[in-house]
Amino acid sequence: MKKYIYILLGLLIFSCEDVIDVDLNNAGPKLVIDASINWFKNTTGNDQSVKLSLSAPYFDDAVPPATGAEVRIIKASDAVFIFTEEGTTGIYKNSSFIPQLNETYSLEITYQGETYTATETLKSVVDIDYVEQNDEGGFSGDETELKAFYTDPVDEENYYFFEFISDIPEIPDLEVYDDEFTDGNQIFGFYTEEELEAGDLVTIRNYGVSERFYEFMFILLQQNSEEGGGPFETQPATVRGNCINETNPENFPLGYFRLSEVAELIYTVE
Amino acid sequence: MISIKKSLLLLLSLLFVLNNVFAQEKFTLSGTITDTNSNETLIGVNIIFPDLQTGTNTNEYGFYSISLPEGNYKVQISYLGYSTITETISFSEDKSINYKLAETTESLDEIVIKQDVEKLNIKKPQMSVNALSINTIKQMPVIFGEVDVIKSITLLPGVTNAGEGSSGFNVRGGAVDQNLILLDEATIFNSSHLFGFFSVFNPDAIKDIKLYKGGIPAKYGGRVSSVLDIYQKDGNSNEFHMNGGIGIVSSRLLAEGPIKKGKGSFLFGGRSSYAHLFLPLFDIDNIAYFYDLNTKLSYRLNDNNSIYLSGYFGRDVFNISDSFENTYGNTVVNFRWNHLFSDKLFSNMSLIYSDYYYGLNLDFVEFDWDSGIQNFNFKYDLKHYVNNNFKLEYGLNSIYYKFNPGEIQPSTESSGINPFKLTDKYAFENAVYIDAEHKISDKLSVSYGLRLSSFLRLGQDELNVYENNNPIIFNEELQIYEKAEPIDTENFSRSDVIESFMNLEPRLSLAYQINDNSSVKASYNRMSQYLHLLSNTTSPTPLDVWTPSGKYAKPQLLDQVAVGYFRTFKDNEFSLEVESFYKTIKNRIDYVDGADLIANNAIEQVILNGEARAYGLEVLFRKNEGKFKGWFAYTLSKSEQKTEGRTALETGINNGQWYSTAYDKTHDISLTGSYELNDKWTFGSNFLFQTGQPTTFPNGQYEYNGITIPNYESRNSSRLQSYNRLDISATYNPKPNSTKRWKGEWVFGIYNVYNRRNAASINFGENRMTGRNEATRLAIFGVIPSVSYNFKF
Repeated sequence: MKKYIYILLGLLIFSCEDVIDVDLNNAGPKLVIDASINWFKNTTGNDQSVKLSLSAPYFDDAVPPATGAEVRIIKASDAVFIFTEEGTTGIYKNSSFIPQLNETYSLEITYQGETYTATETLKSVVDIDYVEQNDEGGFSGDETELKAFYTDPVDEENYYFFEFISDIPEIPDLEVYDDEFTDGNQIFGFYTEEELEAGDLVTIRNYGVSERFYEFMFILLQQNSEEGGGPFETQPATVRGNCINETNPENFPLGYFRLSEVAELIYTVE
Repeated sequence: MISIKKSLLLLLSLLFVLNNVFAQEKFTLSGTITDTNSNETLIGVNIIFPDLQTGTNTNEYGFYSISLPEGNYKVQISYLGYSTITETISFSEDKSINYKLAETTESLDEIVIKQDVEKLNIKKPQMSVNALSINTIKQMPVIFGEVDVIKSITLLPGVTNAGEGSSGFNVRGGAVDQNLILLDEATIFNSSHLFGFFSVFNPDAIKDIKLYKGGIPAKYGGRVSSVLDIYQKDGNSNEFHMNGGIGIVSSRLLAEGPIKKGKGSFLFGGRSSYAHLFLPLFDIDNIAYFYDLNTKLSYRLNDNNSIYLSGYFGRDVFNISDSFENTYGNTVVNFRWNHLFSDKLFSNMSLIYSDYYYGLNLDFVEFDWDSGIQNFNFKYDLKHYVNNNFKLEYGLNSIYYKFNPGEIQPSTESSGINPFKLTDKYAFENAVYIDAEHKISDKLSVSYGLRLSSFLRLGQDELNVYENNNPIIFNEELQIYEKAEPIDTENFSRSDVIESFMNLEPRLSLAYQINDNSSVKASYNRMSQYLHLLSNTTSPTPLDVWTPSGKYAKPQLLDQVAVGYFRTFKDNEFSLEVESFYKTIKNRIDYVDGADLIANNAIEQVILNGEARAYGLEVLFRKNEGKFKGWFAYTLSKSEQKTEGRTALETGINNGQWYSTAYDKTHDISLTGSYELNDKWTFGSNFLFQTGQPTTFPNGQYEYNGITIPNYESRNSSRLQSYNRLDISATYNPKPNSTKRWKGEWVFGIYNVYNRRNAASINFGENRMTGRNEATRLAIFGVIPSVSYNFKF
């Protein structure tokens, strides 16, 4: 919600934008941990993967995978799941993972002689109740708006991570919400896209996440978004997730170890 | 506490002794100086006794007072654009003489405009001050032809802003919230319209402005960087007049006239921008406009008493396809009473109410948002003209504040938003001060003063209580700051004092005159600031909220020293001012990475107290007289801040290292000039060059959850490209010698003549369609021509 205010402020500026070349400094590569355990509702949640990569100079076309690591997730000290790499893709898989709500899991990675760890809890999420479509949305009045309604459980702090995936843009639209002002109400995740047409499919996913993930993603999205930046944006900074380098703390990793229950709804645009 | 009382007593007794030492058998000449036509009081008129080599000038209310020995003396009364009065006065008793000055009617052959209000006074100890008359401001080329007080002061040395479309201004490496902006003594909390494109001051209603950058007199307090003192016109008490202007962005109209001829006057001014202007891109119902209303009633009860009632009301309104509505602005009501206790003791009492309101209605997410700050301000200021070598100013000031950090209301019945109120905060700020201007010898003048300020944070509901009083916890493992969970909340009654602060603020300046046309000056001032504008964006936004000092946010404390060399050439045709300053500020709030300040009811969880420092060299070379007038200003400076960890284990902000503030501009050059070709045409021009402002660029990228994330370097370690721009203007007066009542002029301007795309910011992001990383430059104004028509009758 707070983000809309920034976007609006940005829109009101009488301005012109162009893409320019900028010489940037380049920090050395860091390990990037994209360890997202997603337990879709009504599935076993046994098939999970962890993606390891390295950071790269900003204008490089691709980022390199981090291969040859040892990856395991420990479930409250009573089970260990070993993730094995598929070739040299940097994608490490396990097909016998046991998800359990509100259970604490630890991630352990050994990469190039350094050990990285993280601890997180698997968070539950409510279902997506329904989707409302409005074709006269956005600031121009002709964008397609989708509101994915869900009912926030009353009297508890909840944090949500929304993903809207359509075929139109290359990259998914991500949002995070808290329930500070909406506790116990039916409220919605919000998506707007100019070029959506009848028949297009939009995959809507709502992930239950922890407060720390919410804080992490909130900053990350502010810094990534195209609308972001500009004179009204907060000063950007390196965003630290929940993973640490036990061997060499200075060489801290990027990314996050998240475990979520996921509610998914595939919506056909009318 | 004891030491504060002691030093106050000491100071008072010292002043008393001096008072007696300097008292002599002399008579006093005093009075008020006004404009013949309008009866408007004139500020800074020179009253000079050439035989005695002494003189004085009028204060903010047009009053002067001077002591003279018995005898006959010639007096000269001179002021910019006015005919000088020369006469002989014989003194054998105290006299009160009110002078009326007539505006010079310029003829083609003889154009001599002396900018007396701006004249460099090399004798007075006051330094680091720049005065601009509204006439000078009106001759500067400006964007869209909109005359702008704030934009004009950024052409002075030591003053910059964070770029086009940024609110406010920065003085000597200070932040925007560290400027005290006074309109007829009332505090203005937000000086910008349309997110900083225009300032809130209607130029037609303004008489003079004065900017103090250092050596700030003890009369002023509450902000640590600067004081911008703006005086509104009183209104014409002789005849009814109107003036106004039609521009491409806004139009103005101002009416003034007598309530009772020669005694009382009124002034009503209005200004409004045109709707739709800023949103031409969408062919739907968008509204964006601003308006201002200025009013003033003045009444001179008798020679010893005058009263003034002035008001200001301004709003910005945005409405975007009814889904987003935003209104914000300032309101000021001000009653003042000038009273002369004697011909040597002038007093002014002010009762001021001011507020700043910010409202937002987001229909598409179904909620309303309100926030604001209200304050009641009482000031009592006395000027005591003890004798020609010794003047005293003393007084007191009390301000009561109510802060509404925000309130959320669902705007529809079906809205999923719960009503929520951020806790209101209350505070009481008090100060007493005394300031002496003391001419010790023909060569040496000193001004010294002391301000004792106190701040009481009053009781509120739901004040968070934290374990070990620590609202922000450092997570050593992840090396990040995290919010602490409150363990309890406390409720107080309004009359409770939760936290109190007291500061003694000494002020000192001295001037040593080397010869008739050069002097050196030095100053020191300590100041405290109890309010903080919460803003962690590159440029402040209208929805930033003010917060009072309290348990977790300590008052900002400034120490500044400045030295300067001042010189006039060719009988003041040219002047040169060179100053160097160094200042440090304690308890500058800084925000942890990614701190979210909007609708945050527990700001203490995301801030740390740091420090700031700035130093620099300023050069101002001015040509004050003749057909060509103007100045060259150069500033070389550095402005930095640092927030260290509270313990050795914490990293602090930016690893506890000094980093450049967003308004650190190493080099800042401005050239401004106007040339009167003949009585029909006047030309003006500005050129600006500034080092690019500090910014934070990515030094890498990574992929997470299907999106590319830029990874950023340490704060403000890169810079935007340098900023430069040339503006020109021409003013055409079609009938300069017309005797008709109606007088009109055309102002043509071109802003950013060579269409430089100065970057306001560079954003890094993924192109949504191609998925590739891009750097996008946001340039706000390209070349912009403008035309406006001004009239008066």
